[in-house]
Amino acid sequence: MNAKRLLLFSGSPRKKGTSYSFSRTIKMLAEDSGSTANIIHVIDYYDGKEAFEGLKGLISQSDTIAMISPLYADTLPYFDIWFLEKLKNEFINELRGKNFFAIGQSGLPDITRIMPLLDSCRLFAEEMGMKWLGGLAYGGGVMINGTLLENFGKKGQKIILGFRHAMQDILQDKRISPESQELITMRIPKLLFWPLSAYLNSNIRRQAHENGNADYKKKVYLE
Amino acid sequence: MSIVMLDAMEGENCISSKLRAKLAETGREIIWFELKNMSILPCRSCGACNFKSPGKCVLQDDSHEILRAVARCSTLVMLTPIRFGGYTSNLKKAVDKFMSLSLPLYTVKHGHLLHPTRYGSKFMIGIGVYGGNSKGQEDCFRRLVENNAFNMQYAHRTLILKSSEDMEKVKQEIGSLQKEVC
Repeated sequence: MNAKRLLLFSGSPRKKGTSYSFSRTIKMLAEDSGSTANIIHVIDYYDGKEAFEGLKGLISQSDTIAMISPLYADTLPYFDIWFLEKLKNEFINELRGKNFFAIGQSGLPDITRIMPLLDSCRLFAEEMGMKWLGGLAYGGGVMINGTLLENFGKKGQKIILGFRHAMQDILQDKRISPESQELITMRIPKLLFWPLSAYLNSNIRRQAHENGNADYKKKVYLE
Repeated sequence: MSIVMLDAMEGENCISSKLRAKLAETGREIIWFELKNMSILPCRSCGACNFKSPGKCVLQDDSHEILRAVARCSTLVMLTPIRFGGYTSNLKKAVDKFMSLSLPLYTVKHGHLLHPTRYGSKFMIGIGVYGGNSKGQEDCFRRLVENNAFNMQYAHRTLILKSSEDMEKVKQEIGSLQKEVC
């Protein structure tokens, strides 16, 4: 397996959240295989902390690029769509021919909700003339909440295993196999959604109490 | 009950004006937001709209005008060029703020965990303008509108307009929408 150079776009405005935790693991797995990986935070380019022009060199030097992002309103967050639009306008020549893959993560367990995010990334890759290596969807990001995967017990180990499996494909320029998705998919029987919602709601009420009995049902825009 | 239009078209176009004229024929109040002329600060998922400022984003921007109108309307129409199978960044910036239209609580509906709506159910219409021939772009757009509507527990309809089509076809499509809105 030849050493590859990866460029990872961490797409969350929360720089220490679950998308970063996933990006960090992907970087470590790439380095374990003798490849290199750079993580950049999309938010830093939006906020002007990093110069967009600097991406030209990073993209040119990379073999494989990834978007690792949370689900906001059923697809990529605004920042990431802004970023992809800008990449399309400015670096289409540099992106052509590179590999591209994506990882989407949602707070809620149903991974089918993440498909529009992954499809948008695939369509971006197709428009740019990139090679789409596939996407992975993780439901349950709210429980990870930025925890480093090696500190997330058995579930974290299973996600790392799934990512390692995916990296074997990615580093050979192959499509990510379905087994990787199987490994990271958290299966919660739908019957348990009711007790789960009751548990989550009790946490919400506790947080409201801690915030001075905040009226979280307030219809502020009808006042 | 009013109709709220989030118009994310990026330049001069005949679709916005035809749609505006057609919707005016419904006789209902139309509240039209041209997003390219608005100042909306993006959601950074700070969580303040849950408890610190319940139901209201703490950022001072034009999104409050939109959210106030959506909270009171019966029909929400989103008009956008299709970008990577979804909304343009300009529309997505507004849609990301819809988080505050739901409660932080959870409920189970149709076998899914969802957030209950804060302002009741509405009718959502997603109109994508797309000049290409990729079925994947159109399918992704339809799925995104469907998912948005499902999460917000709104009824919905999706319409895809070809930017190159003649205006008669656009008028017919908008006419069929008008019947649903009425």
